[in-house]
Amino acid sequence: MADAIETKKIYLKVFRFNHETDYLPYYKNYEVVVSQDEVMLDVLNKIKWEFDSTFSYRRSCRHGICGSCGIKVNNRATLACKERVFDMIELFGNEMTIEPQSRKRVIKDMVIDKKDFWDKYNAVKPYMITAVDEHPDSENYMSPHDYENLKEADICVQCGNCYYACPSVEVNEDYLGPASLAKTYRFNFDTRDEAKIDRLDTVNDLGSGIWDCVKCYECAEACPKGVNPIEKITYLHTQTFQEGRAKSNVATRHAVGFKTSINMHGFLDEGMLVAYSEGIGVLKHLPEAFKMFRKGKIAMPWNMPKSKNLDEIKKLIKSSSSAKF
Amino acid sequence: MNENIPIHEYDVVIVGSGIAGCSAARELHRNGKKVAVITKLHPLRSHSGAAQGGINAALSKDDEIDLHMFDTIKGSDYLGDQDAIELMCTKAPETIRWIERMGAAFTRNNDGTIAQRPFGGQSKPRACYAKDRTGLTLLQTIFEQAHRDGVTFFDEWYVSDIIYKEGKVHGVVAYNIRDLEFAIFKSKATMFATGGYGRAFKVNSNAHANTGDALSIVARHGLPLEDMEFVQFHPTGLAGSGILISEAARGEGGKLFNSEGERFMERYAPNKMELAPRDVVSRSIQKEVLEGRGVGPNKDAVFIDLTHLGEKVIMEKLPELRDLALTFLGLDMIKEPILISPTAHYSMGGIPVNIDGKVRKSCSDFVEGFYAAGECSCVSVHGANRLGANSLLEALFFGRHTGESILRDLNDKKLSNPNVVFEDAKRALEEVEKILKSNGSEKIAKIREELQESMTNDAGVFRTKESLLRQQEKLNELKARFENIRIDDKSKVFNTDLQEAIELGHMLDYSFFIVEGALIREESRGAHYREDFPNRDDDKFLKHTIAFMDENGKISTQFLDVALGKFEPQPRTY
Ligand SMILES: Cc1cc2nc3c(=O)[nH]c(=O)nc-3n(C[C@H](O)[C@H](O)[C@H](O)COP(=O)(O)OP(=O)(O)OC[C@H]3O[C@@H](n4cnc5c(N)ncnc54)[C@H](O)[C@@H]3O)c2cc1C
Ligand code: SF4
Ligand code: SF4
Ligand code: FES
Repeated sequence: MADAIETKKIYLKVFRFNHETDYLPYYKNYEVVVSQDEVMLDVLNKIKWEFDSTFSYRRSCRHGICGSCGIKVNNRATLACKERVFDMIELFGNEMTIEPQSRKRVIKDMVIDKKDFWDKYNAVKPYMITAVDEHPDSENYMSPHDYENLKEADICVQCGNCYYACPSVEVNEDYLGPASLAKTYRFNFDTRDEAKIDRLDTVNDLGSGIWDCVKCYECAEACPKGVNPIEKITYLHTQTFQEGRAKSNVATRHAVGFKTSINMHGFLDEGMLVAYSEGIGVLKHLPEAFKMFRKGKIAMPWNMPKSKNLDEIKKLIKSSSSAKF
Repeated sequence: MNENIPIHEYDVVIVGSGIAGCSAARELHRNGKKVAVITKLHPLRSHSGAAQGGINAALSKDDEIDLHMFDTIKGSDYLGDQDAIELMCTKAPETIRWIERMGAAFTRNNDGTIAQRPFGGQSKPRACYAKDRTGLTLLQTIFEQAHRDGVTFFDEWYVSDIIYKEGKVHGVVAYNIRDLEFAIFKSKATMFATGGYGRAFKVNSNAHANTGDALSIVARHGLPLEDMEFVQFHPTGLAGSGILISEAARGEGGKLFNSEGERFMERYAPNKMELAPRDVVSRSIQKEVLEGRGVGPNKDAVFIDLTHLGEKVIMEKLPELRDLALTFLGLDMIKEPILISPTAHYSMGGIPVNIDGKVRKSCSDFVEGFYAAGECSCVSVHGANRLGANSLLEALFFGRHTGESILRDLNDKKLSNPNVVFEDAKRALEEVEKILKSNGSEKIAKIREELQESMTNDAGVFRTKESLLRQQEKLNELKARFENIRIDDKSKVFNTDLQEAIELGHMLDYSFFIVEGALIREESRGAHYREDFPNRDDDKFLKHTIAFMDENGKISTQFLDVALGKFEPQPRTY
C-alpha cells in the first residue's frame, strides 16, 4: 500500500427515473473524486450525500454479502460494494455509465422491481425438505466431500446480477434463470435433502427449465460470488438423466450429445453438445459459440483435452445410464 | 396524508427478519399462530448474513457446558446475567444441531461431525462454522424454513412506531417503503428483533441498516434501555472502512505487529496473546497507535500477518476474508500482512428483557404483550463484553425461546385483546410529514457524519469524563440542528432520503443513552474503558444501568442487580 492515499476524478452518467414523477428516464452527469480504497458503493453514496439526496439505490451490508446493491456499470453487472473504483477505472477509463440491473423493471433510479426474480426463487422450493427433528441430540453426519460438493452454491446472495444479465431470461419470461437453478442445485446436491425428484420435475420443463439455458456463460461472469450458475445447471442436466426424469425432446438429444462428448473426451464439450441437440438449428447459436470460443469455453475437437480418468468416467456413464436415451 | 390507513390483524407481529426474528416466527407459525414479520430489508439481506466466524456450542467431547458458561461470564467481565447464560449455553448444542437438521451447511470434520475452531476468550475450539460465512448459512436456513412453513413476510416495510397504551403494546405502525402507504399492524403480542446500533460510530463493521431504530422508538415512549454504554470495538476492522476481518483470522493463527515489527500482544496479554478477548486486543491496538507505533498512510492501524498459514489454509478456511482485504485495501493476505484497526462492531446494550424475552417497563415490572430478542435486546448474556461467536447463538437460541415464550403466553390467555384506533398512528404520520415538509438548511449526511465522527473520538475505545461531556454537548448541538434539516426528496416512491432522516433521528436519540451510561459508569469494565477510572469497581458498578428518557430528552438512570450464580466475580486477566 502506498504511503499517501491516491485520488482520481471520474465522470459519471447516471440513469435517473422516478415512476411517480417522470414519464421517461434520463441521464444526469456527475464528476466525483474517488480514492484508492473506495468501492463503487462509495460512489453511489457520494452522489446521494454530496450531490443529490433524491438519488435512490438499495444497499445494506457494504461488503458483498447481503446482495442488495447490484447495478450495471457500462453495462457490466456489478455488485457495487464489491468492486474497487480504481479497478473499474482500469477496466473502463474514467467515464462510466451507471444504470440499474434492468431498465425495464425500474421503480426509481437504481431500484428495480424484483418480483419475477423472487417468484422464480420461490418456484424451486428453495429450502431443505426433510422432517426436522426439533430437539435433536446429534447432527446429521456429512462428509467433508459432501459438504464441498455444494460447490459454493450455498454462498449465492440473491443479488440477481446473473438473472438480469441472462439473455435467455431477456427473451423468455418463463425461464427460471441462473439464480434459482443454482439454488436448485444447492438443495438437490445436498445429501440431507429429500425432494430432489420433485425439484427436478420443476426445473426439467421445456420452456422454463434447465434446457432453456443457451450456455452463454454470462451468468458465470456476472456473479460476484463465484457461484458459477451455468456449471450448476450442467450438473442438473446430468442429474435428470441419472434420476431418469428427462423428457423426450430437445433435452433428450441434448443428453445424447452429452453422453457422446463425455465418452469421447471425458469432458463436457459445450460446442458439440449444442450441435447434437439441435441438429442444423445450431447455426442460430453461432454467435454464442463464437463468444464461448473466445472465452476458451469451447475447444476445437482436435484440441479437446482428454481427461486422465477417461476409463473411469466411461464406466460411470455406463453404470449411470439407466435412463433410456 | 391518508386518514383511512388499513389495520391488519395478527396474533403476533415480529419486527426484523434476521436470525432472531425468523426463528421466533417459525416457532409461532408452526404452532398455529397467525404471524407477520415486518422488515425494512428483504429478510435475506438482514445483517445476520454478514456474520463470518462462527457460532458457539460445547459440542465436542473435550468441551463442557460449564466451561462455555465460565468463558462467557468471564468474558462479560461478570456483568452477564448467569441465569440467561446458563440457559443459552446448556441449549447451545441442541440449537446448533437443530439448525443443522434444517439444512445449515457447516464445515465438517473428517468423521462427518460439525467442525469447530478456536475463538478469542474461549478455552476450547468451540465455534462451529461454515468457512468464513457462518451467518449467511444460518440466516438462509432459518429464513428458508420459516418461508417453507408459510410465515408471512412484509419486506421493505419500515416500522416507525409501537402502539403503547395502558402498559401494553397493541401492535406497530409501519409504512411500505415502495409507496409510503402506512398501515397499522394490530397484535396480541409484538416482538422486536431489529439488530444492532453500531452505525452511530464512524469506523464500524455494521450494515447501513443497523441504525438502532427500535431502541429509540421504545425510548421515546418512556420505556427504558439497558447497558447502552457497552459497545464492542472489534480489534480487526479493515483500516479505513472498518469492514470486519473476522476473529477467525486470529483464531486460525493471525499475528499482530506494530510499526517496529514487535508482536505487541506480548505486552498486554502474555498468555492468550492475539486470542485474548476483543476489548483487550482493541485497547492494545489503540494504545500502540496512540503511542506512535501505528502503520499505514495515517499511522492509525497495525498489521495482522497471516502469510505463515499459506495459500491452502487461507483459501480453504478464510476465502471471504482474503476477498475483503483485496477489495477494500488491495492487499492479498496470502502474500502480505494487512492493515487493521478497531471498529465499532456489536451492541451489548439494548431493550431490557428477562430470560423469556419480556420487555421491562422498569427494574421490577414488564410491558404486556411486548418482547425482544437478538442484538437489539439486552437479556444480558454478553454483559460488558461479548465473546466472539456467542451472538449468533444468542439470536438463534433466544429468538426461538422468545417465540416459545410468546406461544405460552398466548395459549395461557395471558395477553388481552389489542385495541387500536386510527389516532394511534398519529405520531408516526406526523414524524414523516414533518420531515417531508422540512425546509431548513441542514443536510442529513452532514449531521450523520459529525455524529459518527464525534462518537468515535469521544465515546469510543477510550473515554474520559471530559470527552463524554464534550460529546454530550455535541449531541445537543446536533439534535438542535436536526430540527432544521431539509430533505430534497418529497416523493412517495422508495424515498431513502426520508428514511435516512428518520434513521438519523433514531441514531441521535440512542447516542444520548450511550454517552449518559458511559458518564455514569465511573469504572472500566469489558468494552467500556474510562481512562479516569481504569479499574473495575464491583462495589458500585456490578450492576446494569436501566435508563429512561423523559419528554425533554433528559435521561435518568437506575441500577438493576446482575443475576449472579455459581461463578464468583474474579479479576479478569488473560
Ligand atoms: C460483520 C459482522 C460479523 C459478525 N460475525 C459474528 C460471528 O462470527 N459470530 C457471532 O456470533 N456473531 C457475529 N456477529 C454478530 C451477529 O451477526 C449479530 O449480532 C446477529 O446476527 C444479530 O441478529 P438479529 O437477528 O438480532 O438482527 P439482524 O440480523 O441485524 O436483523 C435485524 C432485522 O431488523 C430489521 N429492522 C431493523 N429496523 C427496522 C425497522 N425500523 N423497521 C423494520 N425492520 C427493521 C432489519 O430489516 C433486519 O431484518 C457479527 C456481526 C457483524 C456486524
Ligand atoms: S449460461 Fe444459461 S443461465 Fe447462464 S446466462 Fe447464459 S443462458 Fe442464462
Ligand atoms: S448466483 Fe451469483 S449473481 Fe446470481 S444471484 Fe447468486 S450471487 Fe448473485
Ligand atoms: S451492500 Fe450488501 S451486497 Fe452490496
